[in-house]
Amino acid sequence: MLEIKNLHATVSGKEILKGIDLTIRPGEIHALMGQNGAGKSTLSNVLVGHPAYTVTEGSVTFNGKDLLALSPDERSHEGLFLSFQQPVEIPGVSMANFMRAALNAKRKYLGQEPLDASSFLKLMREKRKVVELDSKLANRSVNEGFSGGEKKRNEIYQMAILEPTMCILDETDSGLDVDALRIVAEGFNKLRTPETSAIVITHYQRLLDYIKPNFVHVLLGGRIVKSGGPELALEIEQRGFDWIKEEIES
Amino acid sequence: MKDISQYIELFRTERALLDSHSQALLNAHRDEAAEAFMRLGFPSRKVERYRYTDVAEAFAPNYGLKLDTPPAAMNLPEVAATRYGTLANVQNDAITALNTMLVQDVIVIYVPADQRREHPVQLTNTLRSSVPLMQNRRLLIIAEAGAEVQVLQTDKAEGGQDFLTTQVTEIFVGEGAHVEFYDMEDSHSRCHRFHQVYAQVAAGGHLTHTTFTLASGLSRNQADVRLVGQGADALLLGCAITDGQQHVDNNTLIEHIAPGCTSRELYKYVVDQQSSGAFAGRVLVRQEAEKTDSIERNANLVCTEQARMWTQPMLEIYADDVKCSHGSTVGQLNNDALFYMRQRGISEAEARMLLKQAFASEVLAAIPLEALRQRLHVLVEKRFRNCEDCKLCQKNNR
Repeated sequence: MLEIKNLHATVSGKEILKGIDLTIRPGEIHALMGQNGAGKSTLSNVLVGHPAYTVTEGSVTFNGKDLLALSPDERSHEGLFLSFQQPVEIPGVSMANFMRAALNAKRKYLGQEPLDASSFLKLMREKRKVVELDSKLANRSVNEGFSGGEKKRNEIYQMAILEPTMCILDETDSGLDVDALRIVAEGFNKLRTPETSAIVITHYQRLLDYIKPNFVHVLLGGRIVKSGGPELALEIEQRGFDWIKEEIES
Repeated sequence: MKDISQYIELFRTERALLDSHSQALLNAHRDEAAEAFMRLGFPSRKVERYRYTDVAEAFAPNYGLKLDTPPAAMNLPEVAATRYGTLANVQNDAITALNTMLVQDVIVIYVPADQRREHPVQLTNTLRSSVPLMQNRRLLIIAEAGAEVQVLQTDKAEGGQDFLTTQVTEIFVGEGAHVEFYDMEDSHSRCHRFHQVYAQVAAGGHLTHTTFTLASGLSRNQADVRLVGQGADALLLGCAITDGQQHVDNNTLIEHIAPGCTSRELYKYVVDQQSSGAFAGRVLVRQEAEKTDSIERNANLVCTEQARMWTQPMLEIYADDVKCSHGSTVGQLNNDALFYMRQRGISEAEARMLLKQAFASEVLAAIPLEALRQRLHVLVEKRFRNCEDCKLCQKNNR
């Protein structure tokens, strides 16, 4: 469903991605690992169309469409979802208004009628249970005053409402204690369908204990330098990245 | 500087008609005002309080006066005569002088001591004309000791004609009285309005004064609030949403004269396209006004490179023991928030709209009158959504 070919991208004129090739089929979970600055977050930002990043070469096809030709909101409607590493606080915009605008934009794109207020509130109530979020949430401003854990749970909550087919979890485990990590990861697993694919960006094995990857890739200097099964993540957990660097250099 | 002769001429030729269609009280003040106006002339940008607005431009069209409508009541209550013109600064403010010279009608809202109006008084002004039209009106609100009243004034206009409105409002808040005055302008890009508010709050009295500019061409709102009795309290709120070539200037002066008074001031602007906004708020704490508690804040969202905002909070303190703060911010829409919303599928236009609405909502939330608060939420959203569809704006923007 997602096919990345020879992807090069720059930010502020500096080349960060130097030829990424990656194919993800429906239902597959791909873990993306690598040291800070390797290009993991750049890849996720490029995929969702962040305006600060410029694609200089290569192509990305999503569900047969040229992903790079779509606007960020169209990519979202097509089923692409990014769980932000640092979710943004938006004072004055309530969660309910935010999610209703997002969901109805998607429904319009898909040629569906907008959801009426009561059906929408019912949907919000149902989906809240997935990540055990507080009921007062609907009236609160988006992420404003949320704790680190609440922000990450709120990302998964938004995922539950929008039902994306391709999820990018960008360090969703960062800043979470063990209980919050479990709630977030289990929330994601509950939402998964056999068709849901994901790119899981993480530094640690502990998230992959919950969200089990089919493939693990190591990103270094803007390229995928090593790919393997779940055992590769375990090996990195024990040995770090230096042995992979040495392997490439030799 | 705009030549005043056009307006002096208008006054001389129409004097008889003006007098015959107005109350004696209004007529009695015309000559003194004309003298002051001739002495002052139109304020240039060198006059401190008018430095952000080009007055001449607003007065340039050849406006006519509609003089054939008699006022609703020829006989004003006795109390009006003792208060009319006693707060308005005819000698030093040219627009106040011009208004007093040409004034066509006055509305008096009088609430006797300890009386309470259960429902708000609503005044709706709708401008409609086939030729450029000027109107000069007065509002006099008197709340005696312990009285309570809420007044809502809305300005609307129909048709794409040039309109010029001058208004002078005098508000007397008696001891322990409670007055809420809501001024809302929702007109169009060829409406020019100058509104001078003069208010005086006695001991233990409360005044809420709010100015909402949803749509207009040029608006200049001036509010002078004097806290003259111990424990008097004032809340000033303002919100301006501007686009096209619109210009909104709010100029306030809160004077703490008696000790132990409180003032709160919050003005927010969303300035879009080529429009401009100005806010100048002076808080003056006199020597006797110990234990003054005053907070003044102005926050502005400037949405384009071409939009302009001038902000000037001023604090002048002559007392020793006071708690005062003032501040202002000018910023743009938060790009991180915009992108976050777009990732969730919200279009850029909708995301911008939601952020602007969120910015304005802080002022709306502070409005004491609940029904108006809810109504304004709807009107503000409508304003942000409709502005691209509004034929009048489009005509003047291109």
